[in-house]
Amino acid sequence: MPKPVAIVTGGAKPDSIGHEVALRLVKEGMQVVVADLYEEGFAALANCLCLRCDVSDPDSVGSMIEKSIQSFGRIDVLVNCVGGSWGITRTDLVAPPPRGFRGLMNCSLEDWRTIVAANLDSVFYCARAAAPHLKKQGGAIVNVASIAARKGIPPGSEGSSGPYAVAKAGVMGLTRQLALELGPCGVRVNCVAPGVIASGRLRRVFEVSRKDHGPEGPLSTIPMGRVGTVDECAALIVALCTDDTSYMTGVMVDINGASYAA
Amino acid sequence: MPLEGLKGRRALVTGAASGIGSSIVERLKREGVGVVATDIHPGNGIEVADLTDAGDVERLAGSVSAIDFLVNAAGGPAVVSRKHTLPPIPGAIALEDLDEKTWSAVLAANLTTAFLVCREFAPRMKARKFGRIVNFASIAARRGSDRVGAHYAAAKGGIIGLTKTLALELGPHGITVNAIAPGFIKTPRIEAAGWGDASPAFIESLPLRRAGKPGDIAGVVAMLCSEAGSYVSGATIDVNGGWYFGP
Repeated sequence: MPKPVAIVTGGAKPDSIGHEVALRLVKEGMQVVVADLYEEGFAALANCLCLRCDVSDPDSVGSMIEKSIQSFGRIDVLVNCVGGSWGITRTDLVAPPPRGFRGLMNCSLEDWRTIVAANLDSVFYCARAAAPHLKKQGGAIVNVASIAARKGIPPGSEGSSGPYAVAKAGVMGLTRQLALELGPCGVRVNCVAPGVIASGRLRRVFEVSRKDHGPEGPLSTIPMGRVGTVDECAALIVALCTDDTSYMTGVMVDINGASYAA
Repeated sequence: MPLEGLKGRRALVTGAASGIGSSIVERLKREGVGVVATDIHPGNGIEVADLTDAGDVERLAGSVSAIDFLVNAAGGPAVVSRKHTLPPIPGAIALEDLDEKTWSAVLAANLTTAFLVCREFAPRMKARKFGRIVNFASIAARRGSDRVGAHYAAAKGGIIGLTKTLALELGPHGITVNAIAPGFIKTPRIEAAGWGDASPAFIESLPLRRAGKPGDIAGVVAMLCSEAGSYVSGATIDVNGGWYFGP
């Protein structure tokens, strides 16, 4: 039996959800491709094939999928973890989060395009390029949306943005449509919608913004009384890649400590 | 890889004598979970209890030590009683033919059971600052029920409200509360009721092109009890092969 092959986009930054997903898929016995712009993180992923890829560029995605096929000959799993309101282009990858609330009324048009491209276009490009290979033997796609898609980003919040909330809602719609189109070929497509997760990105928001507020609102309102961990979120994503969830498709799984029950 | 966080834990599974419930028992045992199985219907390794009766629930609790996971799988479209424990699954009942007795009995079997068992066991979970509760809703609560009727859909809709409220109430105590909403799952009773021969057109209309199996549901229960479920709470997880997309 050849090892199943997984592609994880946005897995190179340490303390990111994608990084932990990649490590866990390796432990599950998969060959893992990490597609990311953050080449500085590749050294820490010795057991993965790391490819520089700008997922908001369809040509870059096409060449990443081609190289994955050349190396391993198949694709069984695609996890789309790239996303965020900042740190998503080569020029701002390691920059601190921009200050101030960027809502739909005051964000620049460049913000809108960059954020929608990284969060929504990227999932479309990757799914479309990987689908012909996934369909050959069946498999799973897991997308990462956000609680922001459920309830928006409250005006005044820092570290996220209005366009992000809209793009993540698009990821949910994309998930359902992909589930309909790929289900008959044995490809399941599901989505997780994380609330506040203690990733490196949240730490960087806290470095410049108030510590009692996540981008989605005050932390004290989370019923479970804590933020989630990268481990918890990655474990859920991995479960959605395995046979434990063999009859789930087109599903949004909210992971938010009971902050928002859809 | 086994799921993290299951081995050595203890679970109570209700509705465990057949179908989805018994599949959950098998799966959790395979993961190294110590399982107490209960049902109104006697069976191998089953603690018999009528969970619509608070006294019976209390008696059951007296014979069970601390549990980490509570899986409320008891319920179904049929009216059950101690004397008639596994009646055949009835056909659809139209609103004007739905009598109060059937309404109340189906609400009791599906909703009151989950309420009483949660009320009995939540304090012990609170005391230990840990717990996972998995309730059973249904696709009937999402899209309505044309196979059974308003009583069943209302009961399962109630499960979603119960689940969300308990998630808020028990979250501060380290307890997660979620629901699973199964779609068309081929259990032996469903097959006996003739639903097993679902029309080819229906099966073809499902994105995954097949009926579900009890094991498909048991896998999601295991996921929610494991590390993968430890920050998921208040959620209703649709497991229906793409039949109906919940929110």
